[in-house]
Amino acid sequence: MSIVTDKFSTVEKVRQGLKNVGYIATTQIAHTVYLAYHLGKPILVEGPAGVGKTELSKAVASFMGVPLIRLQCYEGLDESKALYEWKYGKQLLYTQLLKDKLNRIIEGETSLAESIDKLHQYDDIFFSPQFLEPRPLLKALQEKDGAVLLVDEVDKSDDEFEAFLLEILSDFQVSIPEIGTIEATSQPFVLLTSNSTRELGEALRRRCLHLYISFPDQGLEREIVRTRVPDISERLTAQLVTFIHQVRKLDIKKLPSVSETIDWAKTLVLLHAENLDRELVRNTLNTFLKAQEDIRVAEEKLHTLTEHALREAP
Amino acid sequence: MDRILENFITTLRRSGVRVSVAETMDALRAAELSGYADRRILKDFLSASLAKSLPEKETFEVCFRHYFSFNDVAGEGFSGENNAPPPAVQGAAFLTQAFLAGDGGGLTIAFNEAVGRADIGSIQSPTQKGLYTQRLFQELGMEALNRDIRRLAEEGGQETLAQARFLEMMRDSLIQKVRSLIQRQLDLYARQRLNDLSEGSMKNMHLSVVDTRDLARIHSIVQRMVKQLKDRYSRRQKAARRGHLDFKKTLRQSITYGGLPFDIHRKSKKTDRPEIVAICDVSRSVSNVVRFFLLVVYSLNEVIPRIRSFTFCSNLVEVSHLFEKYPLQEALTRLKSGAGLPILMNRTDYGSSFCDFLDQYSDCLTKRSTVIILGDARNNYWNPRTEALRFISERCRRLIWLNPETLSLWGSGDSDMEAYLPYCTIARECNTLRHLEKVVEYLLRKN
Repeated sequence: MSIVTDKFSTVEKVRQGLKNVGYIATTQIAHTVYLAYHLGKPILVEGPAGVGKTELSKAVASFMGVPLIRLQCYEGLDESKALYEWKYGKQLLYTQLLKDKLNRIIEGETSLAESIDKLHQYDDIFFSPQFLEPRPLLKALQEKDGAVLLVDEVDKSDDEFEAFLLEILSDFQVSIPEIGTIEATSQPFVLLTSNSTRELGEALRRRCLHLYISFPDQGLEREIVRTRVPDISERLTAQLVTFIHQVRKLDIKKLPSVSETIDWAKTLVLLHAENLDRELVRNTLNTFLKAQEDIRVAEEKLHTLTEHALREAP
Repeated sequence: MDRILENFITTLRRSGVRVSVAETMDALRAAELSGYADRRILKDFLSASLAKSLPEKETFEVCFRHYFSFNDVAGEGFSGENNAPPPAVQGAAFLTQAFLAGDGGGLTIAFNEAVGRADIGSIQSPTQKGLYTQRLFQELGMEALNRDIRRLAEEGGQETLAQARFLEMMRDSLIQKVRSLIQRQLDLYARQRLNDLSEGSMKNMHLSVVDTRDLARIHSIVQRMVKQLKDRYSRRQKAARRGHLDFKKTLRQSITYGGLPFDIHRKSKKTDRPEIVAICDVSRSVSNVVRFFLLVVYSLNEVIPRIRSFTFCSNLVEVSHLFEKYPLQEALTRLKSGAGLPILMNRTDYGSSFCDFLDQYSDCLTKRSTVIILGDARNNYWNPRTEALRFISERCRRLIWLNPETLSLWGSGDSDMEAYLPYCTIARECNTLRHLEKVVEYLLRKN
């Protein structure tokens, strides 16, 4: 653990560390990650889709050198999917396989009560950890060297699940009736992401540190593109980022995300593009605009957008 | 130092950010980690632990900027002509010394403490600005500073004169700071109070007198109510989904596995999604409350996925698509004027509108749907066609009629309310937000 502690000794180290694993963090992100580590609190990450919320947790995991355990939330997600489940099939299989053995054990007994007494000596054998299927939450608690637990899109889950999550996040322990309480061997670093499709409960917000990630500014996005697509030229990066930033100002349904900027950059590199031009943009528009309506809006303005991008970064 | 943070949190609370005790503790630990030296780190740390949503973050930004803005007042400190260290001024006031030494940290602490003592947060109206400014000057020890400046000026040495001039400069900027601080506090604190004040009174306000500029506020209140309603519905749905063991089905399936119950099946009830049909009168007789009606329907549209909305005057048209397409203001104007809709804005005809509904849209009535009718039932002496409403009422789960007129006017003149009344599950007077709240409460109780 001391290595990890050392990694978190200063804010600058966190930022640099995240950068080394390929995540360009704003100071605010780095500060929040640093604070969350030192306070031992979960981070609730909000922001528009595609600004790298999920990416952040991957980066934190590889920065800390611990596994990332991901729990994708959806409507109807419940404890058996999130926490643990008994391996019913295995239990059944074993009882069948061991039928003879069981018969032999209770052979000598005459009455039903005696047989059951006899079986009780082995009582919880089929409800032991071997028959337990740990789901993400339990898995995260059991990781010996800690883990990064990502609860993705927590806003998609139900209210009940949110309440249940609160319990886990405050104590970091789970009680399984048949086995007992399982405590976290080392507290996982928890990140929750939300796209605000539903207002999250006050209680959950209060338990977490809050981080709002918005679209990066041009400088930062350029840096991100260059880190992710090392082959791209400085000039093309500048043009492309300027273009994307203008597209984000248009009245469209789905704004192009950072990951889509990267995709576009990769595409352009594959096409050996040196400069943006109208034809090229028109042909690759669908890498970052995914709705026909949006593409139409962008195509109308294509000329001015491209001109502007070229002017900004000649 | 904790005192500063405490005051800051009070400021935040007064500006409408909800900060719990646990969060205060977090903020304290965060501030310990960051120290007060680097403002950016401090800001990010506090922001992460105190402001928990985007609107709160925005308020936080403003508050932080205002609250921790004093650092720059201290300036460089005084340096003599040949950069000699400033001579200590005998028996000088705290402010004098802090200014001369350029002690920014000390000044910030002193200033924030003085702000706390002067209880600036209680300021409520612009007329109190003078009072609080004086109070803050007093707490800061402005008098002593003035005395020191006078004394230094009288002593007359070149160095002391320069000092006096420097102090005068600093004092003026301090006064400026105090003034703008008071103004900001007024903006910051008074805003929240004003909101609280009018939310209460707005609920009792008759909806015919509501201004366009209040529309957004009312909209948010209505939204909250509607959301409550929706939450209640969705909770029921989920409780039903969990289900118990379906013994029969499990056993039946077990035949495949030689009698072993390998596949477990659970009973699940069909989910009971709310289905709402809103029918809204947009005629002239209700013109003063129609905006509010439409607002309610619009809000319902925003949170309930399965809703059909209709407006009628002389005939009835479906308007569900308008709500999805346009923002609130625009949708309302369009609906009110009936622009682009095949609606006849002649005299209201409830009877034929209900028949229109039955003819064209009766398929949207199921035994799960709730029909909400908003209108005054003033039918211009047309045939009320109560049989049509009866038919609607029989085919839906319940029928709610919200009438903007007071109870005593129902059935008077050309109002057919009394004829329609027997077919409504409930009929309520609804012309203030308070009324609407009661209706929502009723619906919640019923579920």
